[in-house]
Amino acid sequence: MAEDGDAVALAGVRTTIGVVPMGDVGEVAVRIVAAHLQTVLGLPADVLERRPLGEASYVPDRRQHDAAKLIALLNACSAPWPHFKILAVVSVDLGVPILRFVFGEAQMGGRCAVVSGYRLRRNEDGTDAGLELYYERLAKVALHEAGHTLSLFHCEDPRCLMHFAASTKHLDRIRLFFCPRCAFLLKETLKHLGLSGRP
Amino acid sequence: MAGRFKILVTDDELIVRESLVAWLKKGGYQVDAASGGRGALESLERAAYDLVFLDIKMPDMNGIDVLKVVKQRYPGTMVVMITAYGSVEDAVEAMKLGANDYLMKPFEPEQLALLVEKLLQHKKLIDENVLLREQMATAAVERYQDMIGASPAMQALFEMLEKVAAVDSPVLIKGETGTGKELVAKAIHARSARRYGPFIAINCGAFTESLLESELFGHEVGSFTGAVKAKKGRLELVRGGTLFLDEVGEIPMKMQVDLLRVLEERRIHRVGGTRDIPVDFRLISATHRDLSKAMEEGHFRRDFYFRLNVVEVEVPPLRARREDIPVLADFFLRRFRKETNKPVEGLDKKAVELLCAYEWPGNVRELENAVERAVVLAKGRILTEDDFAFLKRTVGAVEPRSLEEMERLHIQRILALCRGNISQAARILKINRTTLHHKIKKYGIPGSA
Repeated sequence: MAEDGDAVALAGVRTTIGVVPMGDVGEVAVRIVAAHLQTVLGLPADVLERRPLGEASYVPDRRQHDAAKLIALLNACSAPWPHFKILAVVSVDLGVPILRFVFGEAQMGGRCAVVSGYRLRRNEDGTDAGLELYYERLAKVALHEAGHTLSLFHCEDPRCLMHFAASTKHLDRIRLFFCPRCAFLLKETLKHLGLSGRP
Repeated sequence: MAGRFKILVTDDELIVRESLVAWLKKGGYQVDAASGGRGALESLERAAYDLVFLDIKMPDMNGIDVLKVVKQRYPGTMVVMITAYGSVEDAVEAMKLGANDYLMKPFEPEQLALLVEKLLQHKKLIDENVLLREQMATAAVERYQDMIGASPAMQALFEMLEKVAAVDSPVLIKGETGTGKELVAKAIHARSARRYGPFIAINCGAFTESLLESELFGHEVGSFTGAVKAKKGRLELVRGGTLFLDEVGEIPMKMQVDLLRVLEERRIHRVGGTRDIPVDFRLISATHRDLSKAMEEGHFRRDFYFRLNVVEVEVPPLRARREDIPVLADFFLRRFRKETNKPVEGLDKKAVELLCAYEWPGNVRELENAVERAVVLAKGRILTEDDFAFLKRTVGAVEPRSLEEMERLHIQRILALCRGNISQAARILKINRTTLHHKIKKYGIPGSA
């Protein structure tokens, strides 16, 4: 009986997104990300145990963490976790070899993604964005990267969550919704995975 | 829209390559990667790319040298140079050599997104422009209906057809196999007063005598075993239009009389019927045979010949209008490129020279087949002499072969030219049909009718 209960619980987490706080990222930010994933994607999201942010992904020349390396590390350490998608939330600056910075990074159609709040707290003109706008931006980036793990490409609709935002100004133009086309594609992907989802 | 663009990323640093490829793939682009200049050129030889990212410093081949080759061979491909060193001199030189832009690693995210969007929009406009120019070029090619030719021989033919189309007299089209006799017949019909009526073609060599009779005249119920329903013949169906009798030299003597009567009296009886059915059509016939000789030998009726041959049109063989070969080859290449979706862009000089020098015994049809074969099997984007090597084999017979093998190859070739028509092939080979059948069986030649 107990075993059956475990199986049901395990099946549940297999459709759940695991949100991992890494380093000293704020607890509230992580909870807000998890809540948005759950509301917009319609998939359950668990906040997992905080993990340390090691030095392995740090690039001293650029004073950044390499997002691709961070995802590779996350991929390796999260192998035993039962969650079908893993999204790490960090507060450090992220970059990739070709781009000076990124707000987040994801494996296209893969399992892991990472988002950073480092560049979201300030506006383009250097002024403070305020907590509410910061959390909204972080939620948009998290949903965008989660979309990539669910095989969504960048979208041409400038107001869709899957539109590529190269700056906070761009990010603020995006709404907290997927455009009808991306919503349809997302629904198809979830259907293919045997999940219902919201879109 | 992004999915239709193909991008090649060339950088010797694996992490840079992977990073740029991953970013572009998130945009939905089709992306390939090459780890060096030579690899990039090999990829470009295999497939057409809209945009190439090219690192300037690479160990096997300098990015500037690769750029020169790309701009020379594939001028439609956009190139963005990338450098880790921020060397302005290299970037300036690259821009002078035709690079569309340059980026210094690592890029600003906004800069990369805007650049890719701008260049691919530009590429889209260029492609549309090329398409329009191609359409204009195709329209500007000397053509008459679906026939192409700027040579004096074809220009004379087009002039003749314009005159012939204006009258309603029977036309006899003469010309070797594969010269486009049916196209000539269709062109006459399309320019004639009967153009709104049907155009019905029948290959007289493809039917047995009784079947041809039934096809042309139709039949009544019970006129022969299996005639359970009455059927209209093509002479009836063609009312108000043009009837094209291809390979008219194959019509049996008895039916020549029947057709002569139809042409004289303008009415028919269906097979097994007695009712007079009025008919109204223009007759165009075609043959590759020498009908004068057939008349002398008693295989073709003189009165029928003169009734068919009120106006005679001669379609020149391809070897008599070699100047049209490059235009025709280009026309077929464009068509097969579209049909096969292969990125073949053109023919090099030597390939054109080879095509112009070849004798083309099968005429335009053989040229069409040769270009189709070359496009289908092409490895590169430009067809070379090597892609038409099979023509050299056909002409040269370089390696020694046995007499039997030569006979088999020759029969195969003639059958292909006659599209499997045994009677026609037997006549060209100057052997009787039974002997030809025997040889086909002996050599196991497939696909003959």
